Amino acid sequence: MTAIFGVAAGIAFLGALGVVVARRTLYSALALIVNMLALAVLFLLLDAQFLAAVQVIVYTGAVMVLFVFIIALLSPGAQERLNPLELRLIVGVCAALLFTVVVVRLTLNGITVTPSGHFHGTIGPFAPSLVDRHGQVEVLGEQLFTTFLLPFEVTSLLLLVAAVGAVHLARGHGRRASQ
Amino acid sequence: MIAVVGWGAVVGGLQPLVAAIGSAGGVNVPLTFLIALVKGVLILFVLLTTAAYLVLAERKVSARIQLRLGPNRVGPAGLLQPAADAVKLIFKEASAPEGRDRFLFELAPALAAAMALFAFATIPINQTICIGGHGGAGPLSQTCPGGLALHWDLAHLNIGLLFILAITSVGVYSIFLGGWASNSKYALLGALRSSAQLISYEMAVSFAVIGPVLLAGSLDLEKVVHAQHSLWFVFLQPLAFLLYLTAGLAETNRLPFDLPEAEGELGAGYHTEMAGMRFGMYFVGEYINMVTVAAIATTLFLGGWMAPVFFLPNWLGPIWFFAKVGLLIFIMLWVRWTYPRLRYDRLMQLGWKVLLPLGLANIAVTAVFVALR
Repeated sequence: MTAIFGVAAGIAFLGALGVVVARRTLYSALALIVNMLALAVLFLLLDAQFLAAVQVIVYTGAVMVLFVFIIALLSPGAQERLNPLELRLIVGVCAALLFTVVVVRLTLNGITVTPSGHFHGTIGPFAPSLVDRHGQVEVLGEQLFTTFLLPFEVTSLLLLVAAVGAVHLARGHGRRASQ
Repeated sequence: MIAVVGWGAVVGGLQPLVAAIGSAGGVNVPLTFLIALVKGVLILFVLLTTAAYLVLAERKVSARIQLRLGPNRVGPAGLLQPAADAVKLIFKEASAPEGRDRFLFELAPALAAAMALFAFATIPINQTICIGGHGGAGPLSQTCPGGLALHWDLAHLNIGLLFILAITSVGVYSIFLGGWASNSKYALLGALRSSAQLISYEMAVSFAVIGPVLLAGSLDLEKVVHAQHSLWFVFLQPLAFLLYLTAGLAETNRLPFDLPEAEGELGAGYHTEMAGMRFGMYFVGEYINMVTVAAIATTLFLGGWMAPVFFLPNWLGPIWFFAKVGLLIFIMLWVRWTYPRLRYDRLMQLGWKVLLPLGLANIAVTAVFVALR
């Protein structure tokens, strides 16, 4: 399992690196797809099967298809390479560092590491039996429609707003074209 | 050409890896891995052979429908024709257009074949068998205390159906990237059409499969089959079955939905510029996808491995399974040689204005039925 984790994590890292360093925009998008697929494998290793499937269906299969579409059809062409001293590079490195600090802080939140390398944490509101099945559809669905019902419904409202906005934009263009 | 085959082998070899991840919940990881490896090789062999002979079956069926004889020169009754076809494809000059994207031009066909092979990984062709241990694997428990539970699918996932949908959604890339990388207008137009078609009909497929899932109360394909113990879902969900078969035909780019190729208008669509084994990969991928669509329909609607009538033995599981798959595939061939191609706008109308609302209505009615049960 550790070997599989290593391979998947390595591929995910290379994919993420490829997004930044690829010369052609389309290859950046493809590298992002590789990264997302590797992340799905990592989710599988964590027994989060539903999350892995959704990761592939939503991000790789839907969102990135549109990205690739637009990039391939508009073909922005080769971008110039980054100048190492450019401002955006400095900003990027700072953002990455900040993000790392936040992630490490969150990961160790309430968790202590013993000298032998074992993690100790406080038990949260969820029973261990529930945590064991955390990746399964049944548990996820139950939690979504009971504990997290309000956030769930609010998220659907967000999607509705996006859909209405898209329809409005599309209709506006159509009217202008017909005039 | 060798590079293409190599790519296919590498990506196809990932199958056991996924299987190992999926079933490593047990303790004995090396044994699990070995079993997954054997299953992976078997499935590769069976699917590739089936794809080769499907081509022959298609030519034979089409010949019968058109009152011809079909291929009958190579081997007895033309049975060695697939081998001859394969040799021809492999040794054909793999010409390639100028100005192509070299990497993607090699990658896309391999992706088509690999994703087609991948999708089969979670389809159970028989019920779980208990080797050693006490008490056979119960029909619903799928456990095997003290023994080795042998699953008849490659990766026994809790969300088997979602896995297949996920892999199918990745398959869009092989067609779009192949068409785009060819640097040819026919290929690009074919790729655009097919991407729009695949994305539209993916919705219809997803809606159609929710019906049986609601009735079975699980995304685990083995549990879905067990739920059909008394009555196959094709009788409870006839609309969903028809929707799935129609949308499945469109997903595999077959007539009457083969707009991406549409040889009358687009040359050969997204694989216009692909020759030799590059074309072969798309070809193999298409036929394997047919098998997969038929296998999913069998699992969700036709009771999977269960015997068609109650007095026949259930232990012949895989044989019943493949018989049902064969029947569905024959229907797909039959449809191809019966109906003409749809016009593109009609295709989109059918997908968005007919299949999708019907699928939604079916989900609503089924949900009410399940809630009141």
